Amino acid sequence: MVLLLQAVADGVLLGLLYTVMAVGLSLTLGVLGIVNVAHGTFVVLGSFFALGALRVLGWDPLVSVVAALPVFFLAGAVVDRVLIRRVARAPQLLGLLVLFGVMVAVESAAILLWTTDTRVITVPYTNRALHLGAITLSEVRLIAGGIALLLVVLLHAGLRLTRFGKAIRAMAQNRDVAMVLGIDVGWLSMVVFGLGTATAGAGGVVLGMVFPFDPQTQIQWLSWAFLVVLFGGLGGVGNTLAGGLTVGVIQALASVLLPFRYVFLVLYGLLAAILIVKGQGLAAVRTRRI
Amino acid sequence: MSAQAAFRGKVEARGVVAGYDTAHHVLRGVSLVAQPGRVTVVLGPNGAGKSTVLRVLSGLLPPAQGTVLLDGEDITAVPPHHRLRLGIAFLPQGRSVFPELTVHENLELGGWIFGADRARLRRALDATYGRYPQLAAWRQKLAGSLSGGQQRLVEIARLLVADPRVLLVDEPGAGLAPGIATQVYEELAALCREGRTVLLVDQNVQAALALANYVYTLESGRNQLSGTPADFDVASLVRGWLRVPAGPGGAP
Repeated sequence: MVLLLQAVADGVLLGLLYTVMAVGLSLTLGVLGIVNVAHGTFVVLGSFFALGALRVLGWDPLVSVVAALPVFFLAGAVVDRVLIRRVARAPQLLGLLVLFGVMVAVESAAILLWTTDTRVITVPYTNRALHLGAITLSEVRLIAGGIALLLVVLLHAGLRLTRFGKAIRAMAQNRDVAMVLGIDVGWLSMVVFGLGTATAGAGGVVLGMVFPFDPQTQIQWLSWAFLVVLFGGLGGVGNTLAGGLTVGVIQALASVLLPFRYVFLVLYGLLAAILIVKGQGLAAVRTRRI
Repeated sequence: MSAQAAFRGKVEARGVVAGYDTAHHVLRGVSLVAQPGRVTVVLGPNGAGKSTVLRVLSGLLPPAQGTVLLDGEDITAVPPHHRLRLGIAFLPQGRSVFPELTVHENLELGGWIFGADRARLRRALDATYGRYPQLAAWRQKLAGSLSGGQQRLVEIARLLVADPRVLLVDEPGAGLAPGIATQVYEELAALCREGRTVLLVDQNVQAALALANYVYTLESGRNQLSGTPADFDVASLVRGWLRVPAGPGGAP
């Protein structure tokens, strides 16, 4: 029983990290209809950003996560202006190819710059643990999970309560009508892509606090992000949180109950079952909006 | 609503060529004028390009050739999100509420062009709730949960939050119960009496002609006929579009 409780607690913390890592992918897919296959590269760049800031400036990842938001927002806005806008009216496949190009280019540049050596971020609280009765929680995972939850709540509140958030949701529901009401959807799309990239970068910082990484880890994070989006659907930030927590808890429980090599089998088996029931894969989630 | 709507708002399309792909143009040189304080109706068979005219005038579809003018000023290059600031509002065909936003949020977005001027938005919303008191009861409901007629009312109310002087309206009665559709047409007539320009595209020839001050017909993306409603024989017009010969003795 304690083992199961421990697994659920670990899974929830893990799920929060997955949520912040995937929420940007969900946002760009749900609002803009863009399948951002370069999302994982921005996540890994976030981890390298935290590592560089720690080594060069001595910044704790708690500082880096705040700094990463404007830096990655800007990076996303530039990608939108320079690349995405040019293919905005082209078939979705062309946008996919452009972002695949971004993924390959950024990953190759990262390998040239940092090699494929595995890196870890070590801070004073990396190996500390908190004991709550019979349950032991890694302090770094608690902190990373807390930051992730805060970011997700802020994004959710921003989309629900602010004028711009409502405009973003309106644009997702009917782009033409949003336009004729005076909303500059080109500018707002840039903001959305920037927000998606900012959360990817911030997600990379918190993942880097917990997991080792190298430039090629981006593929792993991209596939996990898709997994979360497919589990949760695109109904909003809450859906991504549900998807993230589901994936996190299933992974943690499967790790306890089954040999490790079966964990992925369980997750992807469940995913296959969901897709068979839904019948349309990504197209099914595309019909729901942020 | 306001005095600004009284005398200005003449919208004009001159020689407009436009389409959704460069190889095939839906409009092939359409010209028309819609005057303030009048309902101008565009009629025509399916595929004539009626809705495309409104998309061009609203800025959603840039024309390949031709110009769009507002009070004599060329606005062809003005992007769609700036046209409401010029006073041009567009009610597209079909359901156009934001279904997952509340009625109040939909109305708030109708005043998006007021920017951070919350006081102006509040005044405009108060005026809108004053004009359509039934909206108050649905304020916090998701717009998508309302009936078709209620959604259309929200769309019209949202259209008026910014107090536009030109209303481009596409098939306002489509999909509505006859009684509700009649109310919608009555409301359009009232908006016209306030001095606004109403340019209406409709399949419902009789309802549109009953409302019209001036009529254009299109066929295959070109101007066909124009004149006052009295100049048109509805039955022969529709027969012509449907390629149905006249009955014995010319009877419909």
